[in-house]
Amino acid sequence: MRELSTKQKILRFMANNTVPLLFVVIISFGIPLSGYSPTYLVGEVVSRVSRNSFLIVSLLIPILAGMGLNFGMTLGAMAGQIGLIFTTDWGIVGIPGIVLAMIISTPLSILLGWWTGKILNMAKGREMVTSYIIGFFMNGIYQLVVLYGMGPLIKIISPNLLLPRGYGIRNTVNLIGIRKTLDNFLMVRIGGVPLPIGTFIVIALLCVFILWFKKTKLGQDMRAVGQDMEVARAAGIRVEHTRIMSIIISTVLAGYGMVIYLHNIGTLNTYNSHMQIGMFSVAALLVGGATVASAKIRNVFLGVVLFHLMFIVSPMAGKRLIGQAQLGEYFRVFVSYGVITTSLVLYEVRKKRERGMAGTALAQDQEVTT
Amino acid sequence: MTKQQRTLLIRVAAIVLVILFAIFLFHIGRQHTVLIDNNTVTRDGLELQALKLADVQIGKKGELIEMTPRIRDKALVVGQRHKVKMIYTDANWNEHVYERSFKIPLMQNMVLISLPALLENPDDVSYWLENYEGLTITPSELPQNDDIIFDELAGLDSF
Repeated sequence: MRELSTKQKILRFMANNTVPLLFVVIISFGIPLSGYSPTYLVGEVVSRVSRNSFLIVSLLIPILAGMGLNFGMTLGAMAGQIGLIFTTDWGIVGIPGIVLAMIISTPLSILLGWWTGKILNMAKGREMVTSYIIGFFMNGIYQLVVLYGMGPLIKIISPNLLLPRGYGIRNTVNLIGIRKTLDNFLMVRIGGVPLPIGTFIVIALLCVFILWFKKTKLGQDMRAVGQDMEVARAAGIRVEHTRIMSIIISTVLAGYGMVIYLHNIGTLNTYNSHMQIGMFSVAALLVGGATVASAKIRNVFLGVVLFHLMFIVSPMAGKRLIGQAQLGEYFRVFVSYGVITTSLVLYEVRKKRERGMAGTALAQDQEVTT
Repeated sequence: MTKQQRTLLIRVAAIVLVILFAIFLFHIGRQHTVLIDNNTVTRDGLELQALKLADVQIGKKGELIEMTPRIRDKALVVGQRHKVKMIYTDANWNEHVYERSFKIPLMQNMVLISLPALLENPDDVSYWLENYEGLTITPSELPQNDDIIFDELAGLDSF
């Protein structure tokens, strides 16, 4: 194979990392404009890394199985929220409250993940848009259960949680009993920046689990299914089962991630918290340089840092630039959707280019042999 | 035992273990409110006067609460077994320390400790500790302005 020149290597690197580089450029303009101190920025980024990483890591397994970005993680988020509603109602506080919410969310996530996986098996090749729409559909069911089922059908003890009419959960649920308990467990301050070591340990354990999982039989099966379903089937792998398993694992982890996310915030927006979580998690992962077909743990952390730096600086940068913070708000929404579109387009362009290059190489080989 | 039976057994055992763990978490994580009351009370026809001055601590890590007559304060505790420590200062400025253990029923949200009753008969827990139901709040009595908001960008700021 021909050795690439330095210029070609740089160009290839830029082509492969277009989205992260784009963000580095945006942020390098945004940070000086915002006027935030480095300590503030580092503190905010650390807080958001601890808050969001678990959710984003939950997206890795379906990508490994070739199912793209699992927008259906919203279903796991809903299960996590239901777990939190129950633990708040029962008055379970602290780390036991967090773990119990996770345990409650697990069977719900497994059921929802299994159901999503079944549907996605019927929509092979269109998993992302299907899972996105499943999220909307299930949101309606969630609202029906929480708004009308909780109270008369599902017993809620605390009147503070119920709407004035006597059934349905209020708009906001105060999670004061569990707020930041995991973060404050082993909290260390370095240079004025609080480091929630407890949460980072949990995230590190998840990363180790993901690395270990990739080496297991099921992990290897998922990789094989992700590369080529027909070849995997011919090799005796239960393709449909493997795909369902990947969605179940992702949904369960998303449920846990949502509990960690909300425990950090301290308030549950009953009808809204989960709605955009899939979109922003996917955007953050793509900003980190992941694609629809390939994502690594380093993409998660790079993505969270870059995406959230943009989130933090853009309102203030917008305010200082044209005197309106609202512009920055619009900007970050626009960027979230834009980055997903850009990544998907770039992925398709790259795939087409690689196919074209492979075709050209094959044609050249055939010419040589004839 | 076949392999399938063994797998099933392991799965059932795992589920049972998780359920047991969840019950354990429910026990150790349940929060209760302990009301500390320094009002004059009547016990068995005997009127017990409110204490002039007492410091009360619930649990080993609880803060010391200064109680004067007709004061009711509260402490939040997690778990069911706790200790109450009362340092009572009498009319001659002598301090008397009473430290007693008590248990809160699992599903009880609030209990009330009566300080005059604790001073009178510290060894009988049922004499100074009682379950407290508080005022029954129906949801309709709570603030009414709670319209349901569906806003797909509502979570944006916190993300």
